[in-house]
Amino acid sequence: MLVLWLLLALFIVYPLTMLLGRAFFDEGHLALGPLLAAVENPNNLRALRNSLVLALLVGAAGTAIGLVFAFTAERANLSRRTIRLIDTATLLPLISPPFTTSIAFVFSFGPRGLITYGLFGIGNVKVYGLTSTLAAETITYFPIAYLALRPMLASIGGSFEEASFSLGGSRWHAFRTVTMPLIIPGLANAFLLLFGCSLADFATPLILAGSDFPVLPTEAYLQITGMFDLKSGAILSLLLLVPAGIVFYAQERFTAGRSYVTVSGKAAAASRRDAVSRGARLALLAACVALTATILYFYALLFFASIVMAFGANHTLTLEHYRVIFTEGLPAIEDTMIIALIGMPLGGLYGIVAGYLIGRVKFTGRRALEVISMLNYALPGTIVGIAYLLAFNDKPLALTGTATIIIACYVFRYSPTGIRTTIALLRQIDTSMEEASASLGAGNLTTFRRVMLPLILPAFFAGLGVVFIRSMTAISATIFLVSINWTLITVKILENMTEVALGPAAAFSVFVIAVVLIVTGLLNLTLKRLTAPTLSIGGIGT
Amino acid sequence: MSGSVAIRLTGLSATFHHERRGDVMAVKELDLDVRPGEFLTLLGASGCGKTTTLRMIAGFQAPSAGTILFGGEDVTNLPANRRDIGFVFQTYALFPHLSVFENVAYGLRVKRQSAAHIAARVEEGLLQVGLPGLGDRMISELSGGQQQRVALARAIAIKPRVLLFDEPLSNLDAHLRVQMRTEIARLQKDLAITTIYVTHDQEEAMAISHRIAIMDGGRVAQIGTAEELYQRPASRFVAGFLGQTNLIRGMVTAADDTGATLDVNGFAWRIASDAPVAVGAMVEAIARPEAIAFAPSGSGLAGVVESRVYLGSKAEYVVRCGEQAIQVVQSNPLAGKTYPVGDAVWLALPAGGARIF
Repeated sequence: MLVLWLLLALFIVYPLTMLLGRAFFDEGHLALGPLLAAVENPNNLRALRNSLVLALLVGAAGTAIGLVFAFTAERANLSRRTIRLIDTATLLPLISPPFTTSIAFVFSFGPRGLITYGLFGIGNVKVYGLTSTLAAETITYFPIAYLALRPMLASIGGSFEEASFSLGGSRWHAFRTVTMPLIIPGLANAFLLLFGCSLADFATPLILAGSDFPVLPTEAYLQITGMFDLKSGAILSLLLLVPAGIVFYAQERFTAGRSYVTVSGKAAAASRRDAVSRGARLALLAACVALTATILYFYALLFFASIVMAFGANHTLTLEHYRVIFTEGLPAIEDTMIIALIGMPLGGLYGIVAGYLIGRVKFTGRRALEVISMLNYALPGTIVGIAYLLAFNDKPLALTGTATIIIACYVFRYSPTGIRTTIALLRQIDTSMEEASASLGAGNLTTFRRVMLPLILPAFFAGLGVVFIRSMTAISATIFLVSINWTLITVKILENMTEVALGPAAAFSVFVIAVVLIVTGLLNLTLKRLTAPTLSIGGIGT
Repeated sequence: MSGSVAIRLTGLSATFHHERRGDVMAVKELDLDVRPGEFLTLLGASGCGKTTTLRMIAGFQAPSAGTILFGGEDVTNLPANRRDIGFVFQTYALFPHLSVFENVAYGLRVKRQSAAHIAARVEEGLLQVGLPGLGDRMISELSGGQQQRVALARAIAIKPRVLLFDEPLSNLDAHLRVQMRTEIARLQKDLAITTIYVTHDQEEAMAISHRIAIMDGGRVAQIGTAEELYQRPASRFVAGFLGQTNLIRGMVTAADDTGATLDVNGFAWRIASDAPVAVGAMVEAIARPEAIAFAPSGSGLAGVVESRVYLGSKAEYVVRCGEQAIQVVQSNPLAGKTYPVGDAVWLALPAGGARIF
């Protein structure tokens, strides 16, 4: 317990305090001048406004598409195989490096793009700006809304709709008056999730937004890496903190009062699968198929770009790009794998220990522990990255340039999924389990080891999976933490993009996706072998 | 186990803190003695404190006052895992990640017994509950009734000194419930383990128990055998809770040591009762519906048939006698006469089996 508090203080509270300190204080004095100047700076205001507009649009569009997908999957009477295809396609953006969609966008709609130039012969197209950033982010993040809304629709079940239907309402009437009001909290939650994701997104705007549409995360990054102005970067990231904080608070409020629905096999089986008319079903299906096809097309394009000499100019098949990434790019691959493989077990363990303490043990400060443990996860990566940079640059804790700082960043930023999953699983495990064990003579430790641990094992694996996936794909925080000694694949992809070396960038992306698929597949397999067939992994990839 | 008391509860109380209602006393200074090998049932409506009492006996919940003795040993402050109990949960609480065998073996493994001993005990336990050879199954592959049996086998496998049941049959369908309660009663008789059983089902309680403690508002309202409680209820609550009953109002016209005579709508009803009553007082006496019979015309309490429900093995009548509506149950309706609604009838009220309050 004490160790946990110490770790949280060191890797969450301390860096954020340093960040605030740097923004508000000048050599020990409270100095609001630079802060006010930054707020009044029209460039910064424009970046803030752009960030908010983008986040609002992504939130709205992503939630709408997520709802269409979730409703289609749950109610349109699709075959198992179709649903699996949709699931796979929507999973892809979640496990890809952040630039994937952006790269595919450039390939499709760029100056030499397959669609704009190849299909329509339009040269010199402007792909950069709000529209393409919005489209790319929506495609990248709508699966989050889909994953959040689908279990909700499933748990509401068709019986409410059937009840409305039996009372003489039409299907549309049933949807409008029964289903919609019931899922409004879910929609709001999905919107907030996407709003937060877009607000924090660094990679997509870096590639696609262009100079005409600056947003806060990229501006902060440019301040620090381009002008070596840590203070301005810190202040810019703080501007981001305000809306991010509001979203975090709103979400806490939303989830706090909500009762958790235990999802049982029975409810799903009873739900009505033909709740839509034929015409509506076709329309829904067409929309889903179109978008699914777009996603698959993007990934096919990415793969294609990785095996041709020069995309858009010379389409001779070659393995040259893979040779490049496994020779020149090898240090980045090695570093990333080492960091991911060390961070994975640490994150998984931290997730279930913290989750168990928060979910089952009563102690003072439990709520505080829960909120603090979520902070690094809830805050945009840019803030966390800059905070770590400020905190661990100098003594007493000079960790900059080490692998430790990157691993710590990943563990404390991405384990909250494991924590949340553990808490959610514990909520579903009746206390009579522990009482049964006690009545049979088992002490607390035996009960934890022999009953609780196996039951929360799926959460441990979910934690492992998420930390690994993010260690392979994240960039927004760690781009501030890489060094000559330790670099990352995602950073290499960014470098390739800026050098217009699109082939190696695509090859790196394909490699990352392949590794992530293999490792999460192995994790799932191990979990299945370790536990009863009834327990399956939940939340991997979210 | 020594002495004639296996479990003794003295002044046992449980206080909960409720957000709106403040401190709520779920169990109030409860005293209860359970005899060695006895099957005692705590019977009551939801919220009467029966489950809370059971959970305190198990050690899942600390009492706010009072003591719990197991065979003379004070276990009040002993944690559940050192009380040597077997507990059967309403939700079964089987471990979903373990097989049937491992569930039953759990308590034995915790006690670090030898593999051979464990295998033998588990096999014996599964045989006792009628599930021999199902050890390899996973819990999710079992029906509700089978899960209940595994839960029972798990509890008895450790040969506990006390068996505790918390509404174990409430999740089963009616037919299975009757079958399981017979088996539980048989098993308890064979094992002779002191048992406390919690239920809200009065028929189940009467079918299964040596003695029943009827609980009301955190206290024991009355304790006794099924016959004692049904025939000689100590209060209106007990009379009303256990089975159907009529409360018939009348004025005392005569009273002596052996009983009293009540005037009910002009009919003189002689009751054997030891309750002291004063001549001239208005009292209420209970009479079970099945103890009231239809009498020949002109003799007994006069009334008019208000409703009749035919249930095959019996017919239930409501007879209006002035201001009072009296329930009458006619057993084996085939053999008796049928009285249609609106008929004038006369009722023979029982002399014994009635009580005055």
